[in-house]
Amino acid sequence: MDRQGKKRSLVPVLFVAPALLLVIVLTVIPLLSSLALSFLNWDFGNRMAPVRWAGLSHWARLFSDTHFHYVMLTTLLYFVVGIPIQFFIGLGLARSIDRARRQQNWLRIIFLIPMMLSPVVVAFVVGRVMFNEAVGPVNAVLMAGGLPTVPWLTNSIGAFVTVLIVDTWQWVPFFMLVLLAGLSALSNEVEDAARLDTTSDIQAFWRVTFPMLLPWSVTAILIRSIEMLKIADVIVVLTNGGPGIATESLTLYAYRVGVVNFDLGYAATLAFSLAIVATVVATVILAATRRLVERLT
Amino acid sequence: MTRIRRKIPVWSITLQVVWFIIVVFPLYWMTITAFKERADVFPLPTFLPWVDFEPTLSAFRTVFGQYRSQLFNALANSAIASLVGAFVATFAGALAGYGLARFDYRQFGWKNDNMAFFFISQRMMPPVAVVFPFLLMYRYAGVLDRAWSLGIAYALFNLPLAIWITRDAFRAVPAEVEESGLVDGCTRLGVFYKISLPIAFPGLVTAFFVSIIFAWNEFLFALILTFRRSQTLPVLISGQANELGAYWWIMSALGLIGIIPMVVLGLYAQKWLVRGLSAGSVKG
Repeated sequence: MDRQGKKRSLVPVLFVAPALLLVIVLTVIPLLSSLALSFLNWDFGNRMAPVRWAGLSHWARLFSDTHFHYVMLTTLLYFVVGIPIQFFIGLGLARSIDRARRQQNWLRIIFLIPMMLSPVVVAFVVGRVMFNEAVGPVNAVLMAGGLPTVPWLTNSIGAFVTVLIVDTWQWVPFFMLVLLAGLSALSNEVEDAARLDTTSDIQAFWRVTFPMLLPWSVTAILIRSIEMLKIADVIVVLTNGGPGIATESLTLYAYRVGVVNFDLGYAATLAFSLAIVATVVATVILAATRRLVERLT
Repeated sequence: MTRIRRKIPVWSITLQVVWFIIVVFPLYWMTITAFKERADVFPLPTFLPWVDFEPTLSAFRTVFGQYRSQLFNALANSAIASLVGAFVATFAGALAGYGLARFDYRQFGWKNDNMAFFFISQRMMPPVAVVFPFLLMYRYAGVLDRAWSLGIAYALFNLPLAIWITRDAFRAVPAEVEESGLVDGCTRLGVFYKISLPIAFPGLVTAFFVSIIFAWNEFLFALILTFRRSQTLPVLISGQANELGAYWWIMSALGLIGIIPMVVLGLYAQKWLVRGLSAGSVKG
């Protein structure tokens, strides 16, 4: 809108200045400080303790710390197991609701509600209450159906699954709504035309609609993957990392090292390693989709 | 053209019904549990109010009686932190959103899309990667355990979505309307303030509400940057979950109090909730 040849004005810069300043103060500086902290010994519990140079010792410790290896594996498992499940449920729901014009609006709103709730409350209500082993409704239903009850919270695998169930309950709507937006942007007619050439609806969907839906899928998967890698609040309420450290995530471990053990240097190293993993995962997802798009189109 | 008659397949209806039950049942369960007493929960669960148990307000009486000071303190802290966070994010976000919608930053050596991406990329960073420097910064500034300082930290999470939502809102303001203002002798800032801002205002309100929801529900920063005095609602609830875990009716009442305001805001801003989260990479 600004015509060329006009004198350069600084007004545009004034508009973005507050936001840039916020990002620099609240993100760039803390992120660099985190990196700096990972080279220091900083005892947060003792104000008198001197801050000392630690060199690469915290980073070296990552390689020998089996607790770290375990929580890293758990965190990656949440992501590897959870995201595909959430994606496909969300895709199924999106497709299903897209074609159900009449109920679409109110179903969308009801399915959206979990996203508005505090994960802490969700973890309690969906996790601890529903899946209570003695008197929770889920085990009650299993028992009524003559099935064996499941140790949802006291067994390592059970607890891991319950964390995923809670996260899935809350975040499937995100997949559903992003994919629904994609489906409504695409025209049904393309798929219907393809339907005439192929044998089944399912084939027409996978061959024609699914590739066109990829941009929306990638966005949703990317955002949810990063969110999943930083999971912590649900776990705190549901299992507090237990039994043992079976459900502990990397974020939770870093929190404990920093705030419970007051070892800020190592905590920052753990936290920074998560940032690195998140960046790698995001890059891999984007690269993989680029190749997939090339193959499909 | 002949229309293809579409039958809604069985799997589709089944999935909708099953997911509907999965979503609604826990919410129903929490709501009825908040109106129960011990005898209605143990030893056998009860399912229908007025049929197999008589609803009572006893849980709410406990929450507003015995836990009154803690609850009101947490509500006030959550409100302050969310409002401060949402206000700072919406203020800075709307200015940047306007800038990105109206100006060309290439003359300053930065393409608009790249600048927008720079802002959005903040969302990709795990919060734990910045929380420890915050802890140190806040301690040395003497603002640890304050609701407003927690709110400023929340501005960081909310800025990307505030920029995105307001940018779309300002883009929807017709350029001709602004140009006529410029011709009439308004300055740039005058045009922004008197013409564009009122038209795009609903977008700003939405950004504000969506920011409030995310700040209200945030847990990790609240846990690390506040202690007793400025405890927020999620921290209170997670703490009570360990102490009062078996008192489900009390926990359910607390949970309901915590989520109802957000559901109200969320229903207002529902179209933008997903769009804000996916920060514009998708038209939702």
